[in-house]
Amino acid sequence: MTENARRGVRVEADALTRRFGDHLALDGVSLTIAPGEAFGLLGPNGAGKTTFIRCLTGTLLPSGGEVRVDGLSPTRDPGAVRARLGFVAETSRLYPELRVEGFLRFAAGARGLAGRARADAVARVIERFALGEVAKRLVGHLSKGFQQRVSLAQAFVADPPLVIVDEPTGGLDPVQRDEVQSLLRSLRGERTLLLCTHDLEEARALSERVAVVNRGRLVALGATSDVLAGDPLALFRAEAAA
Amino acid sequence: MTAFLALVRKELATLFASPLAYLALTLVMLVTALIFFDHLRIYNQILFLYASSTMGGFETDTVPDHINVRDSVFFPVLETLGITLIALIPVITMRVFAEERARGTDELLLTLRLSPAQIVLAKFAVTYAFVLVMMAGSFVYPAMATLEGGIGTEHLLAVFVGLSLHALGLASLGLACSAFSSSQLVAAVASWAVGFVLWDFAWAGAFVGEQAGRFLDLISMHPRYGSFAEGVVNLEHFAYFAGLGLVSAALARFSFDWRRVAG
Repeated sequence: MTENARRGVRVEADALTRRFGDHLALDGVSLTIAPGEAFGLLGPNGAGKTTFIRCLTGTLLPSGGEVRVDGLSPTRDPGAVRARLGFVAETSRLYPELRVEGFLRFAAGARGLAGRARADAVARVIERFALGEVAKRLVGHLSKGFQQRVSLAQAFVADPPLVIVDEPTGGLDPVQRDEVQSLLRSLRGERTLLLCTHDLEEARALSERVAVVNRGRLVALGATSDVLAGDPLALFRAEAAA
Repeated sequence: MTAFLALVRKELATLFASPLAYLALTLVMLVTALIFFDHLRIYNQILFLYASSTMGGFETDTVPDHINVRDSVFFPVLETLGITLIALIPVITMRVFAEERARGTDELLLTLRLSPAQIVLAKFAVTYAFVLVMMAGSFVYPAMATLEGGIGTEHLLAVFVGLSLHALGLASLGLACSAFSSSQLVAAVASWAVGFVLWDFAWAGAFVGEQAGRFLDLISMHPRYGSFAEGVVNLEHFAYFAGLGLVSAALARFSFDWRRVAG
């Protein structure tokens, strides 16, 4: 891990708004994630979590407000922002026809690593995410748990200071969930980790602070133990966003 | 450049991991061979008719001048091949962008250090290379006919350039259609529609007036393709196909911006 990754980056959203026609998917969300923090973005399905992440990664333009990574806007400086982040998508968005090692080589190359640096980076993530036994297998032939590990490995291959993980355990069985959560726990503290989930237990186990969004609005923000104390499900109900 | 080359390698691996690439290569060669041998069979039948019934025996000087390999086999094969490519090329291009969108891997690509322009360039480059290989393979039979028909090497080269440009033009249109859809079927149908409409507008000339007719002729593919088949290499025709490629690439690049706005 590099010094850059260890420090992590600051993420700031300032009145971030996104509309899809008449539907307001994000309604003036403002929050700050400190460098090196493990931050959970919580909310029911359709709350606006993925929209927030897509604005952050620059794959979606905000309708209003702004989001910044390390002071940089994904809209104005997409290349610089992408150089600082690794992204693990909601479902394992991978190439089933590629072999694990080949896919990781591609991910490293696409992040600008070449030659020896690329080979070392691939070897490092294969070891870290325990992918050695499946390195030569096709991604499409792996279990969902292994696919999620591959997805995590590609996000970490260039050692980015910010890693965004969207619904990391969706569709996994309990054993696979435990494996992936253990991996994510081991990653805390070494870089900024933004975890997007609707699973309260997952957020409790992996995040230092959480924000809860509901119907596009920020309804709670604070230390995980404070926000999720009492009846956290109330934050997920429609009335919370009213 | 490293990121671009990594994507090119990935595109090649993805293309050849799919049976579609091999299927398309086989299909184009098979269809070309069928078209060629069918025309050759007709040509032989015509020769046989002249040889057996009319003259009571085959003598070369009894066969009219227009009955020759060039006019009876070579040009009809190229004409049929040109139309056949309109149907076949979208089978290759339909998946290029649409499959990424359907899987959601387009967002993965964008969160890597790849700009939309690099993604478009890499996908166009790999598709172009594959189409060129396909054309080289399919050109064997027309080339054989040409050698027998006594058409010169320069003419042969012009025909290959024309055939390749025509295929690349169709590939460009197919890629642009694929870039705006997450359904491979929709992308293929759109490519077929655009390809057939752009192939030849000459029929519309009678309905739209002289000036509009001239314009439609200007944007038709067939006159350019036909010109290369005749052995005429014209810069204007190069510019036409280059323009088709550039406009298609620009549209594919625009599709990324459009999705960032539309979601």
